Amino acid sequence: MEDDNPLSRQSSRIRKIAPKLSAALLDPNTRLQVAQARLDALENDGVALDTAEADEDEDAFAGDEDLGFSQKKAPKGSKRKTRQAKALERLGNTKKAPRTFLEMLHETNLEALPAHVPSYLTAAVGPPNSGSRRHFCSVCGYLSTYTCPRCGARFCSSQCQIVHNDTRCQKFVA
Amino acid sequence: MERSVAAAEAEAAATAAAAVGVEKIVVLDNGAGFCKAGFAGHQDPVAMVPNCLGRPRGSKRWLVADQVQECDDIQGLAVRRPMDRGYLISPELEKEVWDRIFKVLLNVKPADCALLLVEPLFNLPSIQKITDELVFEDLGFHSYYVADAPSLAHIYEANRRPESLLARSDCSLIVDSGFSFTHAVPVFQKFTMNYAVKRLNLGGKALTNYLKELVSYRAWNMMDETYLMEDVKEKLCFCSTDVPFDLNVSRKRGNSNYIKCQYVLPDGVKYKRGFVKDPGAAAAVHLKKKNVEIEVNGKHIDEDNVRTRVDTDRASVGTTETRRNVIVVDEQELTLTNERFMVPEMLFHPADLGMEEAGLAECIVRAVSACHPDLQALFYSSVVLTGGSMLFPWCKEKLELELRPLIPDEFDVHVTLTDSPITACWRGGSLLAASPDFGDCLVSKRDYEEQGSLRCRRRFFH
Repeated sequence: MEDDNPLSRQSSRIRKIAPKLSAALLDPNTRLQVAQARLDALENDGVALDTAEADEDEDAFAGDEDLGFSQKKAPKGSKRKTRQAKALERLGNTKKAPRTFLEMLHETNLEALPAHVPSYLTAAVGPPNSGSRRHFCSVCGYLSTYTCPRCGARFCSSQCQIVHNDTRCQKFVA
Repeated sequence: MERSVAAAEAEAAATAAAAVGVEKIVVLDNGAGFCKAGFAGHQDPVAMVPNCLGRPRGSKRWLVADQVQECDDIQGLAVRRPMDRGYLISPELEKEVWDRIFKVLLNVKPADCALLLVEPLFNLPSIQKITDELVFEDLGFHSYYVADAPSLAHIYEANRRPESLLARSDCSLIVDSGFSFTHAVPVFQKFTMNYAVKRLNLGGKALTNYLKELVSYRAWNMMDETYLMEDVKEKLCFCSTDVPFDLNVSRKRGNSNYIKCQYVLPDGVKYKRGFVKDPGAAAAVHLKKKNVEIEVNGKHIDEDNVRTRVDTDRASVGTTETRRNVIVVDEQELTLTNERFMVPEMLFHPADLGMEEAGLAECIVRAVSACHPDLQALFYSSVVLTGGSMLFPWCKEKLELELRPLIPDEFDVHVTLTDSPITACWRGGSLLAASPDFGDCLVSKRDYEEQGSLRCRRRFFH
């Protein structure tokens, strides 16, 4: 969704999706993927990287200073930075995200182990026995009876449907 | 009295260390959420600090571990963690946290110390290697031992209740629900039965993020305020033993809705930290069914009562403000209703979220079923809950309710919550490290240099 016009006066949080994508949302596989993406987001550590980048941009705006120059400038501030503090800052601000656990898991290739060897993969609890599940309204959280025909989300009343259509249905809310 | 306990602890620590031939034995439970660190033989860890680096909004300096805890500016705190999904991924960040813990908080020289490190189950070989490097090459410990959390929790629990069935049979089912995941682990004769371990990929972090997502959609945008939402979760969430009933209650208006409560968000001027607006009202949920009869008599009276109470609240706040001569800022409140119990509910029924995983009760049943049939009765009769995510009120009751229908009638089910879910594992480690045979388990730095990481690992039996 990078091709959005940055100058448009729309809220930055809501983006309409292309008609092709909305058709794709009817497909159960795509819905599954969307749900999975939402679940993966639960393991995120907030927005640390975004803010780090923003601050770096700020620096760039203040003038493209090389390292030596900025070092000279630093003591002007209230406190001189120790070497450790600098190392920490560099560490915290590295743009390159560390490898994720899933990447490392993939590299380890645990699938190659024989089935009887216990490993991270065999320890996963697996799908539930009963396929039945309760449905909760995606807007207010109470028990829901209706399903959105366009995106498959649940809602419980016409009020919640309106809210759902206005905010979530076929939109990506960041 | 207190002094004598401290003296006894110090003595125990000294004798344990002398038996191994080092100055001190450090026990470190390196959880993804919190690092618990202290000395062998002590009752409680010296340091319990977040295992992360944090940076307040607008600042350039990264705070480490305890500094994050003390930081007042928690709004929009950016956080970087060395652990991902419970496993170490960034030794550089971890080194910063450990440096801080050992040098400042514990004030020890690693070269004179033995270390007992708690590692997650099924740690990947590549991660074990970087951990070894970190311990021996970067920090330079004299020697170390790696243990896993459930067996330590078992040791602690057996030591705490020496008369119990758990201690006499030396067998228990540990449910360890931490920051990144939840494990159901049968422990037999102090060893984890690794083939029977079952893992649920849900922990405190996922729950906090889920709460954050719900609140951001329904009330205020809290997507940047993980730290704040963690506090909300810890103070206000509880497990519901009857979800449909509680859903109905949380939908009501006025005083009969004992679930609804407010959390005052920090404004950065007057309140640096958020807090529960009316702790009494928030705790009403523990009494259950409070004021249900009043609701039958007449609703509007209750609402009036509430309004007057809120007004008096406002008034009292106003007077303190004028006294202090501060600009009056209306506090921002976060109202929570069904989120309070629907968030922990996720642990028990992840399928409701669309997650293809069995709930906690089923997870326990599967773990026990994978063991020898003769042991199963023993496991069911000593289920022990530990880990920070088990601190939700009513969690034990809820699990008992859910577990009973899944288990054959002839088995007794007995669930206990350990007395200190967060530090139980550390305390077990402290006991183990203070035991006389501990010295034989250690791998010294010299062994590591001669034999390398892999050979040393063989000594840890996992």
